[in-house]
Amino acid sequence: MESIFSFCFAILITPLLPALIKKVKACYAGQQGPPLLINYYTMAKLFKKGSVYSTSTTFVFRMGPVVGCATSLMMLLFFPMAGIAPLFSFHGDVLILFYLMGLGRFFTILAALDTASPFEGMGAAREAFFSTLAEATVFGILVLFFRITGSLSFAEFFSGSHPISLTGEHGALLILVIVALYIVMLTENSRVPVDDPATHLELTMIHEVMILDHSGPDLALIELGAWFKLLFYAGFLARIIDPFQLQNVWLNGLLFYAVVTFIYITIGTVESITARYKMNMVPKFILTPFILVFFATILTMELIK
Amino acid sequence: MGTMFVSLAVILAGGVAALLLCRQFTLMKLVTIATTTAGCGVGLFYSLSNLLSHAATIEISRNWLHLFTLAFKVDSISLFFLVPIFTIPPLALFYSFHYMGDKAKATRTAVNYFFFAVLVASMALVVTAANIITFALAWEIMSLSSFFLVIFDYQTKANRQAGYIYFIFAQGGAMFLFAAFALLYQHTGSFDFSTFATIPESAKLLVFILAFLCFGSKAGIFPLHLAKIQSGPAAPSHIAAIMSAVMSKMGIYAIFRMYLLLDATTPLIGQIVLVTGIGTGVLGVVYALAKQDLKELLAYSSVENIGIILIGLGIGMVGVSEQSQAMAFFGFAGAFMHVFNHSIFKSLLFMGAGAVSRQAKITNIDQLGGLMKRMPITGRAFLAGSVAISGLPPFSGFIGEFLIYYGAFYGISNHRLPFILAILAIVSLAVIGGLAAACFTKVVGLGFLGEPRTENAAKATEAGSSMTLIMVLLALTSLLIGVLPEPFIRLAFAGINDVPFTVGFDTQAFMGIVRQVSQTVAIFIGLLLLITLFRKILYLKKEIGSGGTWGCGFTQPTVRMQYTGTSYAAEMIDFYRPFVPVKKIYSGLSKIFPGKTTWETEVEDVAEINYQLRLIQPLLKFLHKLRWIQHGKIQLYIAYIVLAIIVLLLLL
Repeated sequence: MESIFSFCFAILITPLLPALIKKVKACYAGQQGPPLLINYYTMAKLFKKGSVYSTSTTFVFRMGPVVGCATSLMMLLFFPMAGIAPLFSFHGDVLILFYLMGLGRFFTILAALDTASPFEGMGAAREAFFSTLAEATVFGILVLFFRITGSLSFAEFFSGSHPISLTGEHGALLILVIVALYIVMLTENSRVPVDDPATHLELTMIHEVMILDHSGPDLALIELGAWFKLLFYAGFLARIIDPFQLQNVWLNGLLFYAVVTFIYITIGTVESITARYKMNMVPKFILTPFILVFFATILTMELIK
Repeated sequence: MGTMFVSLAVILAGGVAALLLCRQFTLMKLVTIATTTAGCGVGLFYSLSNLLSHAATIEISRNWLHLFTLAFKVDSISLFFLVPIFTIPPLALFYSFHYMGDKAKATRTAVNYFFFAVLVASMALVVTAANIITFALAWEIMSLSSFFLVIFDYQTKANRQAGYIYFIFAQGGAMFLFAAFALLYQHTGSFDFSTFATIPESAKLLVFILAFLCFGSKAGIFPLHLAKIQSGPAAPSHIAAIMSAVMSKMGIYAIFRMYLLLDATTPLIGQIVLVTGIGTGVLGVVYALAKQDLKELLAYSSVENIGIILIGLGIGMVGVSEQSQAMAFFGFAGAFMHVFNHSIFKSLLFMGAGAVSRQAKITNIDQLGGLMKRMPITGRAFLAGSVAISGLPPFSGFIGEFLIYYGAFYGISNHRLPFILAILAIVSLAVIGGLAAACFTKVVGLGFLGEPRTENAAKATEAGSSMTLIMVLLALTSLLIGVLPEPFIRLAFAGINDVPFTVGFDTQAFMGIVRQVSQTVAIFIGLLLLITLFRKILYLKKEIGSGGTWGCGFTQPTVRMQYTGTSYAAEMIDFYRPFVPVKKIYSGLSKIFPGKTTWETEVEDVAEINYQLRLIQPLLKFLHKLRWIQHGKIQLYIAYIVLAIIVLLLLL
């Protein structure tokens, strides 16, 4: 029961949080910013619209948003938001989930290439490149977590006899992981400094240029998928950062979402105070977290006997 | 065992029948397809029923020409490898019904079918051979018959050259094999496989490395993969499918068999296999990404998959030397699972490439495009194969990788070297997966989607029904394995039943996880259908427009402005630069009013360059100095022979 409630709550709150990023950015720029419910309005607007499809496209173009949205939603189904057990979980679920995320990316890229647009091809190439680099870090983190907890499941990472916790015996290593995962989050969700969703020039975009030709409900599904994915990463980070395991479910949830909110605010802050890197700098930026995680894993050789 | 020989006899009879019926083109094809299907059906029934009932090992031996003993032995490993040997060939032959549609080449097609039958029979003999003589005989027949299959289109110079290189690699590899066998014979004095374990520990490593070089060149491990790369694009597609999907697995089988027979205690063997696997996997997929020719790309992708299989085997071997039963079990089982899966989706992809090359007459991705609309069934099947080979659920590729990951995670122990190796294996599997996805989004996205880049691509039509039928069948099988993996995983588990170290490993708990995986896949598909339904409802009674692609304000787009495979891969290739050299040819600007200029890039194989530079050129230089021996005087040649015999008699 709790699990269903937690899942529904996460889905309902998803569009709210990215609006926070916009608000923070507006604050830094000295503007008022859009209302916090802006994304709900956008959804309603897009759902009401029809679509225009390019004559170049095939069924793959229509499949892209559906697969993308479904794979992101899968992450929320299996992730223990707010310390509440997820709807589904088993030993080994992290492997299939990150591969499902790969499937979502596969179809997003194909949908972009289906339009025969040179701009979307460029975005697709970058997306494919950067994600292969980020994948190495993600699996590096999984190795480290397996080393600490002996488990391969999101739910078991944070429960069980050796849970992942900042106050635990390996807390120091987790600081490296937090930095690494934060960078992966920025990469996978196309945020500054890897990608600038607010840029005006198609040539410099990655994710936004790939969805140029989508419109109406299709675009809404893509946006939803992107928000689910961001919430998953923010939630993952929040579970690592948040060291408290309180008995009270409500208090625990409140604390968790406070941390999540804080993460969204930091994303907004990063976007306000840094510019996007030059494209040839991005691979170096994405490889940094891999080194951090690898280093942390090597350290466990002495720390864990 | 008798059943298997009956099935081989039927298959060979089909091959001979093809030769006899070569004047009746259609009849010949039908007869060969029917007999091969019947023979393979019997063989498949034999191997599956024995595999699943965990039948005891059978051994038989026969005296041959009063000189040698031909010995055969069937254990669970042989039986498992027999499954793809008997599954894929009938499908490939059925596919060839429309693919080999040129009646003018009837005789040649008949010869092709004959060698096809010989190849299938010899592969079955390779996995059941139980002594040196039998194995070497079967191995050589396999190499030679596949050589004749490769040079089907011998009128093209490039194909002849590919066949030549294939031949050199096959025979060069055999040289290492004979060296290994000679070493073994020297120690044991027996041809029998079962005596291998008795040779001194110090000799085992050398024997293994020699054999590994031979088997590795057949499988396609990295610096020895050239034969595979050359033969893949040169051979007809149904042959390329068999060679890549089934025959290269004979190399894997032989490596594994040699490892088990030697029963060495040194951990070095496992480490060598694992590191080779990692290198082969990563470099294979990077080169696949770099190549624009569809068939060449698929050949490199086979190299990558051999890498994944070797990673699995390596994990298993390291598990054995680490005394970790879980690691060994899942490593071996994962490798076996991937052997089976790869044989299915790689056949599918090669057949898809064959359909494209037949219908569009081109295989360069930079010249294709828009095929999904023109060849809808081929396109959809190819898409399914692409998802499968990228290791993504809900298709079969994921299942094998899941097992290997599982083994690798269990290998994360406290010993330094195995620990580092396990981490490297996991991370490189992840990187390989990502790059494979990039590679196959390139193939599907640029080759099949978008707008046709050339006239040929625009005129392509759907392939013949026998071709599309097989492709759809293979695509559905791939999906089935991904959604309901349990029986297939049981098959792989049954395959490693006779591996001594993993005997008695309890799989009950893991089967629960497999069921969970298949449940997760079901949830995902359910979710997918739900969202599709939701989307359908949203689009009810809505205005759906259509127009040109948004060109960012540019009003005169042409198809040539589309992104190309070369540009798609450029950044990624650049990242791996020292290992993937790119040759750039630029004519430059010379006059004040420049004329026509050209710019060309070509990705070169680093192994090929080094062979040229460090092996072929010095060798040619040296051999050139010996040219005087070859002078064309027959009487002196006879003198050489006499001299050689005398020297041998005196020495031995």
